[in-house]
Amino acid sequence: MTQGKTGTELAEPPKKPVTVSINGNAYRADEGECLLTVAERVKIPIPHFCFEQSLEPYGACRLCMVGVVHHGKTVMETACTLRAKEGLTVLTDTPDIVKYRTILFELYLAEAPKSAVVKEMAARYGVTKTRFLRRVDTGDPLGGACILCGLCVRVCNEIMGAGAINFINRGPYTVVNTPFTEPSRDCYGCGACAAVCPTHAVSLEDRGGERILHSWSETKVPLSQCVSCGKYFAPAALEKSVLSRIEPPLRDDLEGLCPACRAKKLAKKEILAATGGDPGDA
Amino acid sequence: MEEKTLEEIIARYDSPTGKVLGILGDIQRSEGYIPRETLEMLSVKIDVRISQLYSIVTFYSFFSLKPVGEHVITICMGTACHVRGAVGVLDALESLLDIHGDTTEDGKFSVTTKDNKFTVEIARCFGACSMAPVLQIDGTLYGYANPDTLPAILEQYGWRAA
Ligand code: SF4
Ligand code: FES
Ligand code: FES
Repeated sequence: MTQGKTGTELAEPPKKPVTVSINGNAYRADEGECLLTVAERVKIPIPHFCFEQSLEPYGACRLCMVGVVHHGKTVMETACTLRAKEGLTVLTDTPDIVKYRTILFELYLAEAPKSAVVKEMAARYGVTKTRFLRRVDTGDPLGGACILCGLCVRVCNEIMGAGAINFINRGPYTVVNTPFTEPSRDCYGCGACAAVCPTHAVSLEDRGGERILHSWSETKVPLSQCVSCGKYFAPAALEKSVLSRIEPPLRDDLEGLCPACRAKKLAKKEILAATGGDPGDA
Repeated sequence: MEEKTLEEIIARYDSPTGKVLGILGDIQRSEGYIPRETLEMLSVKIDVRISQLYSIVTFYSFFSLKPVGEHVITICMGTACHVRGAVGVLDALESLLDIHGDTTEDGKFSVTTKDNKFTVEIARCFGACSMAPVLQIDGTLYGYANPDTLPAILEQYGWRAA
């Protein structure tokens, strides 16, 4: 399968304006811009699961497949790894693409039979049934909604640097979870995994002074309590790591405060400073 | 595994390519499996997250997280071997060794006899399809396996008919 260009070449996309054609209409784009982003901007729907702004596209879900017209021939490429260049011509709904997409949706319906997101999206493209064997696992900590796109794994490793979860096993037995399916010691409890999951498969909950990551072997992390209002507001380990990156005077001001109290305190300080009042115990 | 032994293994690999797989392979060969403590120690020593190591170990059928018997029998269930009767060979082996395997939760097949003498595992293609069906005992390949020749092969490894 033809893949888009790799990350190294695209590290610094030049901002040269180019014209690309999607379904016969011309659109402006920046040279090197991700074609999926261009299509989204001009409201041309291309279904996709594994595209996430904060990560380098990696074409894992294959759903964003489009036809690229080149010298009269059309080849299929994933839109998320495709980069805009002058004269780029793509079609989003050729019979080939429609056929390909239908099979993929059927596969996803079998892989994640409990996912409302998958069902809804598939139905939008006219796919409501699957010819493939559904994956049924009643005890699945991801509730039968995981499509194994790997976004949670990547965000946990590449962005947060926690590396608490990863793929386990192989083939039809592949799952995402913590090693030994035991509570993780590496997890910050940041919840980035849940935020990026395209099928909302990751389940977590704040209860009392703890965040419980149900999907990740019931990993529990303590939450920090706001010294001012008493609300639990962030995983303690995460707060510590964020604070360590702030310079001391400001850090001392912010330590132990939830975002709301932080804003109040800073605003009060500003006002007092402007009016010449004494910040005192602000 | 002793910390020192692990350090010696790690020292064998100075280039980053193939390092993790190489080390894990050496642990597997020397212990017959990958003990959890060793995996955790390795994670700290080479600064690779335990989730990553666990992912690799559960991916390849070559690695095992459970201790295995004295002799490891690996039956190929690749396409060629399957077509040429590997299932029959596995059935015969199960009855000769009096074991009953089922695929475990992780999709790996690994059963050990009660006396800890043999462990039976399944692989997907040894690349010896021309001799299908193929089985391997402690690294030695046996081609054209069939239920009738099995007892003679097993006897070389100390098996006796009950
Ligand atoms: S849990 Fe969500 S983000 Fe993680 S692999 Fe599954 S579908 Fe992708
Ligand atoms: S969004 Fe392009 S392959 Fe998943
Ligand atoms: S299928 Fe058994 S060796 Fe190839």
